[in-house]
Amino acid sequence: MTDRVAIVAAAKTGFSPSRSDANYSELAYEVIEKVLTETGLTIGDDIDNSISCSHDIWDGQTISNIGITDVIGGHLRNEEKMAMDGSTAVYYGTIAILSGEYNLTLLLAHTKMSQTNRNIVNNDAFEPIFSRKLGLDYTSAGALQATRYMHVHGIQRDQVAKVAVKNLGNASRNETAHNFGFYSVEDIIESPVLATPITQKEMAPDTDGAVAMILASEKAAKKITKNPVWVNGIGSSYDAHYLGDRDLAMSRALEQAAGRAYAMAGIKNPVKDVDVFEVGEEFAHQELMWYEGLGLCEAGKGGELIDSGRTLFEGDIPVNPSGGLLGGVPANVAGLHSVAEAFLQLRGEAGRRQVKDAGVAVVQGQSGHCGQHHCVVVLGRD
Amino acid sequence: MSEQTVDQEYIHVPILVDVPYRFDAGKYMTRFLVELRDNEKIYGIKCPSCKRVMIPPRIVCARCHVKCDEWVELSNEGTLEAFTIMYFPMTDPTTGKPHDPPFSYGSVKLDGCDAPIDHMLNIEPDMSKIKVGMRFRVKFRPREERRGDLADIEYFDPIE
Repeated sequence: MTDRVAIVAAAKTGFSPSRSDANYSELAYEVIEKVLTETGLTIGDDIDNSISCSHDIWDGQTISNIGITDVIGGHLRNEEKMAMDGSTAVYYGTIAILSGEYNLTLLLAHTKMSQTNRNIVNNDAFEPIFSRKLGLDYTSAGALQATRYMHVHGIQRDQVAKVAVKNLGNASRNETAHNFGFYSVEDIIESPVLATPITQKEMAPDTDGAVAMILASEKAAKKITKNPVWVNGIGSSYDAHYLGDRDLAMSRALEQAAGRAYAMAGIKNPVKDVDVFEVGEEFAHQELMWYEGLGLCEAGKGGELIDSGRTLFEGDIPVNPSGGLLGGVPANVAGLHSVAEAFLQLRGEAGRRQVKDAGVAVVQGQSGHCGQHHCVVVLGRD
Repeated sequence: MSEQTVDQEYIHVPILVDVPYRFDAGKYMTRFLVELRDNEKIYGIKCPSCKRVMIPPRIVCARCHVKCDEWVELSNEGTLEAFTIMYFPMTDPTTGKPHDPPFSYGSVKLDGCDAPIDHMLNIEPDMSKIKVGMRFRVKFRPREERRGDLADIEYFDPIE
């Protein structure tokens, strides 16, 4: 048994609306080669477990990991695939090492959103008899969520837009983001409407890319790096599938996932105890909801929190200094990218988006329409 | 308990939307397909460590986990390793049209390569006429019909 699990390396490809220069394997190897070279580890002698995160329908391949088992080191050995947000790969990788079964785990998430149609792929995520016929996808369902959330809590239109202003601005300091700029609230609200109230600048754009990471047992981590980042807490929770079974104005599953992760990490007050947050806002309004679910403010007070400026890059509870998903991160890859960003922050390697003296970071990833599933990861330095 | 009564109705809901894809071939397969389309050449890739020649060409040798970059031109002739005679109409995903059964598929290991390539066999679909070990030659489609995909190979012709 190992006591703790550390992240010892992370790498991301350049993200762009289309990486037509590379197939899945080539995209994956770009980042796998980086983390192996950086740590000096090899697949044959060191890495004893691999977990990939991808999605069959996005990839157009049944059991989407079979196309990349060679590059991830899954040939004639173990490789596990999970089809949820990339943060969940960290969750399972951590558990596998804590079990004592594995020592060094290579994580990979890859998606090429450019190769198919987002509306159709996400429509396929809905139950076919009762829900799919409308043509619901994550954007239209997200719009229902936004309307309900704003109505129940009196959230103002400009408060939602401020999330996009903040994140697109932050993304300008992230070298892998492709969607960024300095906009006003009016610019955001006046960008083309996709499904009221969501506008184009309030939705994470279609993106291709991959992220790789290496998790290590405590003993192995200390041999690999002087600067490990510890996985101090993990939590995961599902909400109901049918939208009608959920309270769309609330983030119950996130409260559960965060509660478990905080308890494991000994976080009593996330506002005081955490230095930086990376969250999975597929749409701008979701970041306000995730503030609430993560306990950064009371339920319904997400609008007031963004108004306060505290979640800005310069604020005392910075959220998404990377620019978050609005900056352009592929579906599925999203949460692993967020963990990679938190890793860089805690190592002091986040460049122009470095949060000063970051010692504890919290990552939230989500998958399914309107955030059906949430995973929370608490990271810390020695 | 679980007996079905004859008058019980069960509803089935069809969903006809298909998911469209446009797959990026990437660096390795783009080069392979360009050689196939423009030059009637078939290339494999050699692992620098175990020296096996793989088809399709790819970035990493799964066995050795090293990057591959040595291209090897393969012969247009090879040996049949396995085959089947198909009696149901498999759909060709690139055209959406079924192949007319019966027809035969075969795995032919081209000379110079360590792995076979699977394609149609231009031979009477008769078990007594196809044998593992038979020699076949690649039949390319005419230049004007070649599009840069595996259908640029029309079939394997038996070598008399």
